Amino acid sequence: MNAMNNKSIDEILAKVNGIKITHKRARRIRVDVAADSLTTVLELIKGQASYVHLSAISCVDWIDDNQFELVYHVWSYEENCLISAHTRIDREEAKFVSVYDLYKPADFFERDIFEMFGIFFIGSPRMEKFILTEWYGMPPMRKDFDSEAYVQETFNWTEYNPDWLQEITEQGGGIAIKPEEIRMAGQLHNMSTHREREKAKKDHVVGKGWKS
Amino acid sequence: MRPENYQAVQLGESNEYEIFIGPNHPGIEGNYAFRLQLDGDIVIKGTADAGYLHRGFEKLMEGRLWIQNLAIVPRICVPDPAPMEVVYSMAVEEIMGIQAPTRAQWIRVMQLELSRVAAHLFTFGGHAATVGMYTPMFWGVADRDLVLDLFEDFTGGRVYSIYNIPGGVRRELPDGFLQKVSNLLDYLESRQDDYDNLLFGNKIFVNRAKGVGTLSKKEALELGVTGPNLRACGLPFDIRKNDPYLVYEQLDFDIPTQAAGNAMARILVRRDELFQSIRILRQVIEKLPSIKGPIRTTIPNPLSWNVQAGEAYTRVESSKGELAYYVVSNGSDKPYRVHVRGPSSMHAVQTLEYLAKGARLEDIAQTMFSLDACPPEVDR
Repeated sequence: MNAMNNKSIDEILAKVNGIKITHKRARRIRVDVAADSLTTVLELIKGQASYVHLSAISCVDWIDDNQFELVYHVWSYEENCLISAHTRIDREEAKFVSVYDLYKPADFFERDIFEMFGIFFIGSPRMEKFILTEWYGMPPMRKDFDSEAYVQETFNWTEYNPDWLQEITEQGGGIAIKPEEIRMAGQLHNMSTHREREKAKKDHVVGKGWKS
Repeated sequence: MRPENYQAVQLGESNEYEIFIGPNHPGIEGNYAFRLQLDGDIVIKGTADAGYLHRGFEKLMEGRLWIQNLAIVPRICVPDPAPMEVVYSMAVEEIMGIQAPTRAQWIRVMQLELSRVAAHLFTFGGHAATVGMYTPMFWGVADRDLVLDLFEDFTGGRVYSIYNIPGGVRRELPDGFLQKVSNLLDYLESRQDDYDNLLFGNKIFVNRAKGVGTLSKKEALELGVTGPNLRACGLPFDIRKNDPYLVYEQLDFDIPTQAAGNAMARILVRRDELFQSIRILRQVIEKLPSIKGPIRTTIPNPLSWNVQAGEAYTRVESSKGELAYYVVSNGSDKPYRVHVRGPSSMHAVQTLEYLAKGARLEDIAQTMFSLDACPPEVDR
């Protein structure tokens, strides 16, 4: 417990406009807050109640509501409690303020969200590409990016039938197992090898060590 | 960035130069690059360059059934895959409001701790290799292989077990399995002196590891460092104790800490943790036969399984640190969003860049490995 302040989270955050606090279960508190009050909430819980560890910033694309949801998971080493602060921002504008001044790890998470969802964080130190350095399309984690359509457009499907396989097939060999039988065949295959392995291992006791 | 697209930077008339380490190098368990700006052999600035292992797991998971994703999640971290399945299953369970039966929880603890043992053995070898000692690498990998044999025995898979399922675990333990675990623990304990002589008390290693990559407790907290790296700075924090999950509350174990916060302290914390894991596993072996009951609760047909709308943030202590999943469901048969918070995303990017500043070039590989980062957790 913070010696200076014994107020509960509900008391600390009581004056924030339009806030909704839900105690989900032991050590988990959910806070729903408007976008313009989010930094206030983080400042209060960090300054007044020792929530110093930013565990993660998650982003959810609610495309039907035309909104992005940002979730700040903050942990207190003293209270052993996690606060998840949820807020929603406009999807078209896709801009928000950085919390790097409060939490250094925000650098990584904000850059990740910038790259994957295209949300620009004002004041974040490195709003640049990191993982997808050679990607120039739409931010891929957005719901309107269809990865399957992208694959169909970008790559050509070819049937795998090399010369060596054709030769074997002509001789009556090749892939003999029909696709519908593969599941069962796989099981039988595993069983036989397992038995063989067990037999081979019979004299070898694990506990006797590597040298034996 | 692809190495072939990398353009060497001309830094004008000065002694400074820039080199590109990676994506394959001894400093890390996977493909990861690091750009260093150097003056002589002193690093002025290091820039992490990730993306070589990006397979878009989070996007893939949005297009697959809840149950299919269990085959994807363990692939996010190769050296320590078990916590991934467990934390994903726990998140789905929390959204559904169900709980795994007690027996399944004990089996999960066993799986997690075996995985931790395997991961730490791997790290010892890798860390030693960065200072030029290769014997611990052979020993570590050989002993890890014995743990993998156990995984094969009880889950069917050596590395990716895909053994968990929301609501419990897939199969009952094979006959005589606990005896095999017990034998392995005896063997690992008998190796303690060997490892201490070869690695932890060896002057070649100790003199090189002391003073490398030193983090203070304050810096570690600011940079979001978790797990063994945080405990090596003197903060006795462990999610298994402080945010307990499964049946860790009923188990008796200590949280090893070190004060120095350098590479040596970090490997010593991992060494002590290995033996704490053995202690936990001994308790599991003793307790498990007396816990009867089912190994999983009934769940709907997994192929047409609509998980009710909701969200959950679950965390476990993996061998690397705080591993968390944020899972959102909108009531359909596929997750709406899965966010993976890997501990290495904090260690391998900001912390590493911070530690690289002012370090010497020959210490970079060791600094990287002492943080025990797993690049696929950054890339996902």
